[in-house]
Parts: sequence; C-alpha cells; structure tokens
Amino acid sequence: MNLKDPESMNLVIGKVLRYGVILSGLIIIFGTAGLIASKGISETAGFLNYNPTAVPHDGIDVSPSGLLQGLAAFSAFSWIELGVVLLIATPVARVLISVFLFAAEKDRLYVLITAVVLALLLFSILVTPSIPGFHA
Amino acid sequence: MLIVEFVLLMFFVSIFAGIFGSIVGLGGGIVVIPVLTILLGVDIHFAIGASIVAIIGTSSGAASTYVKDKVTNLRVGMFLELASASGAIIGAALAAYTNSAALEIIFGCILLISLGPMLMKLGEDIPKSPELKGLSKRLGLKGSYTETDGRIINYNSTRPMEGLAGTVVAGVLSGLLGIGGGAFKVLSMDLAMKLPMKVSTTTSNFMIGVTAAASAGIYLARGDVDPLIVAPVALGILVGAALGARILLRSRNTSIRKAFAVVLAIAAVEMILSALGVLP
Repeated sequence: MNLKDPESMNLVIGKVLRYGVILSGLIIIFGTAGLIASKGISETAGFLNYNPTAVPHDGIDVSPSGLLQGLAAFSAFSWIELGVVLLIATPVARVLISVFLFAAEKDRLYVLITAVVLALLLFSILVTPSIPGFHA
Repeated sequence: MLIVEFVLLMFFVSIFAGIFGSIVGLGGGIVVIPVLTILLGVDIHFAIGASIVAIIGTSSGAASTYVKDKVTNLRVGMFLELASASGAIIGAALAAYTNSAALEIIFGCILLISLGPMLMKLGEDIPKSPELKGLSKRLGLKGSYTETDGRIINYNSTRPMEGLAGTVVAGVLSGLLGIGGGAFKVLSMDLAMKLPMKVSTTTSNFMIGVTAAASAGIYLARGDVDPLIVAPVALGILVGAALGARILLRSRNTSIRKAFAVVLAIAAVEMILSALGVLP
C-alpha cells in the first residue's frame, strides 16, 4: 500500500476502526457469555441500583492493576471492562494513526491539527479525571 | 427481571439505537438513556456511562464503512475535532460551577430553534456549492462522493469559523452532560458550512467517538461505566451501526434530512423535559 496516495488514508483509517471494533466486540461477547453462564438467572434488581460506594458492579477495581487481576481470575465483569476500554481506545488510535498518515502525505498543516487533537484528547482522558474540581 | 432478560432486552434496544444513531450522526443516547432510566429504572449515572460507550460504538462501528466509502470528509472531521475536543475539556471544567438544568434548557431551545432552518430546506438534495476561498481553501475543506444513483458530487464548504464555534458548543455539551454533541455537529456542518446532508451526518458520526472518548476517562474513573449495563448496549450498538451504515449509503439526502429533523425535535424535547425534572 502506498501511503503517499491520499486514497490509502481512507482505507487505513477504515481498517483501524474495523479491527478495533471487532476485537473489542469479541472480548465483550466473551465476558457477556461468562456473565450469563454464571449469573444469568440472578435478579437484576440488586444490580441496577446506583450505590456510589459499590460501583461498578461487584465493586470491581477499574484501575489498571485491578483490571489485570480481574482478567487473570476470569471475572466476567473485568473481561467486559477490558473490551469497553479497547472500544474507547479505538478513536484515540484512529487520531494517533492519522498524524502519521498526514505526515506520509506531507500535509504539515494537518499533521499539526491532528497532533493538537491527540494532545487534547490524551489530556482530557488521562489528566482531567485527577484535577480537583473537574466534573465534580 | 433476570440478568439474561436484561441483557437480551438492551441488546435489541441498542441495535435500534445504533441504526438510527449512525444514520443521523448522533450517538444513540437519546434512545438508550430513556429506555434505561424510564423503562428499567436504572440510575442516570449508569445511563450516561452507557450512553458514552454507545456513542463511541456507533461512531467507530459505522465510520469504518463511511470512511472506506469516502462519504465522511476526513479533513472537515479532523479540523472540527480541534473544537469538539477543546469543548469537552471546557465542559468538564465548567461542570462543578454551572447549573446543568439551566444549560439543558438553553441548549434544548437552541435545538428547537434550529429546527426552523432545517425544515426550510427539507427538500434539499445537494446544496448549491459555495466558492472555496479563504480559510476553507487553506484547509482544503472540500470533497466528493458518489451518490446512490451514481452521480459524483463535488462540494466545497464555507464559513469554517462558524462551524468551529458550533462544534465547541457540541464539545462543551458532551463534556458537561455526556450527551447531545452530535446534533450540534450536524447543524454546524449543515447550516453553517453548507455540506451535503450525508457528508454532515457521517462526518459528525466520525467525530462523536473522539468527543465521547475525551470524556470517557472521567466516567470510567468514577465507575459510571458499568460492565453489566454497558455490555449488551455496546454489542447491540455495534450490530446496529453496521446495519445503519449500509442503509445510509443507499438513502437519499432528503430522507436523511427528514430523519434528522425528527430526531432533532425528540432530542430537544428530551433535553428540556429532563431539565424540568419531568424525565430523569
């Protein structure tokens, strides 16, 4: 594939999105199957209530280390969470790859625009949750 | 209700949301949120967490098809993402200091008002293409795509700064409320930048995933993205978005505009009713 060809940008971005969606979808299916197998005939009543001290369900740990432990223990909720994190990461990966695709086209203006979008996005995802007063 | 029943119900509801969301350029939250809160009594925090994931799923699921078929305008999308990503951060910063009910009423009314110009051009197939000049020319905000009947449509855009301003509003709304960004994005591209309807809705669809991802960190960290609620929503949305993308590529601009006008009216009313406390 010749990355200098503007047509290739559509193909590459389309592929990044498609593979991201398929991979996260398969992992969520795996987790959901496990969930139904283990808790499928439990009542949802206790699950759908929002208890700020015990969210998300089963009080699973959403930090990276907690997620890894849950995955190793084959917790259905942790596997679903992994799929959801990958789904959220897909648009970020798309922006990241666009920076390189515009660079291959030698379009400096759009390399700059896309790099700024990526910086804003990473700041928003990684930094703002820990700034006091943001989204209280 | 049993967990297996909940999963199946939300899966099918979300397929429907994904089809609609991907065609009109919104995230499907306007379907998913009321079903979860009103019908199932799920807390609004969980519903918004599910809506964020639904928006990202609709976006990536349909965009892979739209981008490959070159309906989405990548440069318009990337340029406007500057505004939506900044807006999302501004919205998150404002959340602690603003009365979200008042904002919802204001934004809901803006959406209702923008129904006017939208209805005026209900029969418009392809807009009269403006001359490409100034910043739009510098940014290369033009494109072409193939219509359902085989016509190749070449189009230019205009008023990029107005498009940018409208998209900042979209980003602020997403950052503040987690919802409502798509409508302002489509309106910015359609009413200000004069892009063909399909290009506006698919480019909005392309962008909403990035805007929602910008806010996702906060919702994930707070535990609002609940695996049980989100799993069937994500899976249904992905199936629906894939179906919706195929439908859009075979639809006429006039039909898409009519569908968007209906959804716009519903979104505006939902927003106002929720601010007034009639809806959760």
